[in-house]
Amino acid sequence: MYVIGKREFMSLFKGVKSCIVIAILLLTSYYSAKFANILATGIELSAKEAENIHTVGLLGLLFLLGQLFIAGLSHDTINQETHERTMRFLVTRTSRTSILLGKFFGIWMFWFICLTVSFLLISIFAQKFDLFIFSQTISLVTLQISFTILLSVLIPKPGFTMFLGIVFGLTFPILGFWVVLTSNVWVSWTKFFTPFYYLDREDFTFLVIFILSGIMLFFANFIFKRREC
Amino acid sequence: MIAIETKQLKKSYGSVPIVKGIDLFVEKGEIFGFLGRNGAGKSTFINMLTGIIQPSFGTYSLLGVKGPNDQVKKRVGVMPDYSTLYGSLTAIEHLKYLSALSGQPAGMEWCLEVLKLVGLESHARKKVAKFSFGMKKKLGIALAIIHDPELLFLDEPTSGLDAESAIQIHTLIRGLQKRGKTIFMTSHNLAEVEKLCTRIAIMKEGRIVNSGTMDELRALYRSTIKVKIKHSPVPNSEQLNLHQWLESAGTDLEMNDPYVTITVKDEKKIAEIIRAIQQCRADVLRVEVEEPSLEDIFLDE
Repeated sequence: MYVIGKREFMSLFKGVKSCIVIAILLLTSYYSAKFANILATGIELSAKEAENIHTVGLLGLLFLLGQLFIAGLSHDTINQETHERTMRFLVTRTSRTSILLGKFFGIWMFWFICLTVSFLLISIFAQKFDLFIFSQTISLVTLQISFTILLSVLIPKPGFTMFLGIVFGLTFPILGFWVVLTSNVWVSWTKFFTPFYYLDREDFTFLVIFILSGIMLFFANFIFKRREC
Repeated sequence: MIAIETKQLKKSYGSVPIVKGIDLFVEKGEIFGFLGRNGAGKSTFINMLTGIIQPSFGTYSLLGVKGPNDQVKKRVGVMPDYSTLYGSLTAIEHLKYLSALSGQPAGMEWCLEVLKLVGLESHARKKVAKFSFGMKKKLGIALAIIHDPELLFLDEPTSGLDAESAIQIHTLIRGLQKRGKTIFMTSHNLAEVEKLCTRIAIMKEGRIVNSGTMDELRALYRSTIKVKIKHSPVPNSEQLNLHQWLESAGTDLEMNDPYVTITVKDEKKIAEIIRAIQQCRADVLRVEVEEPSLEDIFLDE
């Protein structure tokens, strides 16, 4: 698991795509934090919202485009290796659970480091490191990574996961916010399955997002174990 | 000790059976050859044993451990039939990555040693994307042996290799056997299997139709042996006696001085014929036994 995780982590830092995503994250964090005070004067905010105004740019970016970024970098983490049959070298050496969890932790560590650096950048302007919002953000990214891995296991063709990554990346935030805010009883119950419901709350219910991620990974592992490589 | 044992191992895709119940055992230290036409189910069988696919029915054990077992994978080396490698990695990086994955990280010295064994020492730091088919094949073998496994699965190890490289791989396989490793290999090169393997199984339409040593397969294939003997001139006084005796010893007798050609049922008869010629005051100069090759046996199945 460690060996696969390390390779996944290192390979994510290589390539143009990763550089662009890292640059977008850091630039958004830097400039949104730098000009947060201007934003705060322009709109009416509660005391709590005003306190966290420095993170709004990064959080907005991750809420709206996080799934897209993660899918863009890692949509083919499993199916590319299965498609090209390099997976055969892995499954003949270690367990499939180790491969799946190794891939997950490699991607997770990449985003953890990117977000930590982003929050540190924000903390320069905010004069504090908000551990609660940081944990919430990590929970969101964890769910998005788990979903990307699940898709990569379910769909054998890398080209198709790229397409689905874009579709889900664009529709999930819209649908997510809609089901959280809607009063329609027929769909509002689905809010419990979206991360946005838990992230909107000011308590530790965001931990449920980690449970949802665990369920997705469990399901992905269940299928991956039965897959021909 | 048994290295591989399978009991009624089957694999079906939907209602189509590919492997139809294989009972097989391979002793430790053997080079076991697995033969069959394209689509016979050889690779499917290997893939089941190596964890690439799951059997539909039956059981198997590797090195005495009931499969599927992830721990035993560290003691097994696999060269799958068709696999692409990581184009962005060099040969050395491949060896380091996959040996670490097998729980035995290889140092630079050992990596170079293994690359030398397969004839890739001069390409150690070249990106695999620039490798030819044969070079990738050799790297596949190097990857299978990098963690010094006890049991090796080699699927078509020499297909696509030039003659010199194939001989180098043969020497490597023999060397591994001498070090006590068990090798399970498939090949389309019948001469190679005949030359290398201690035991052979022939697979046809998902079943093993014949298995054994070359001698056992020959015995199964042919119940008679054709012998051609060259001898010095037999004195005229003995010629009739010899002819009469030879007629009783075998069939299809042809006597064209200095050759005798005869078909016998048993190897012991060959020794008796030699003695009979010597008793007729002639010397035996050459004995040729016409045996069925693996090709004859294979094509006959």
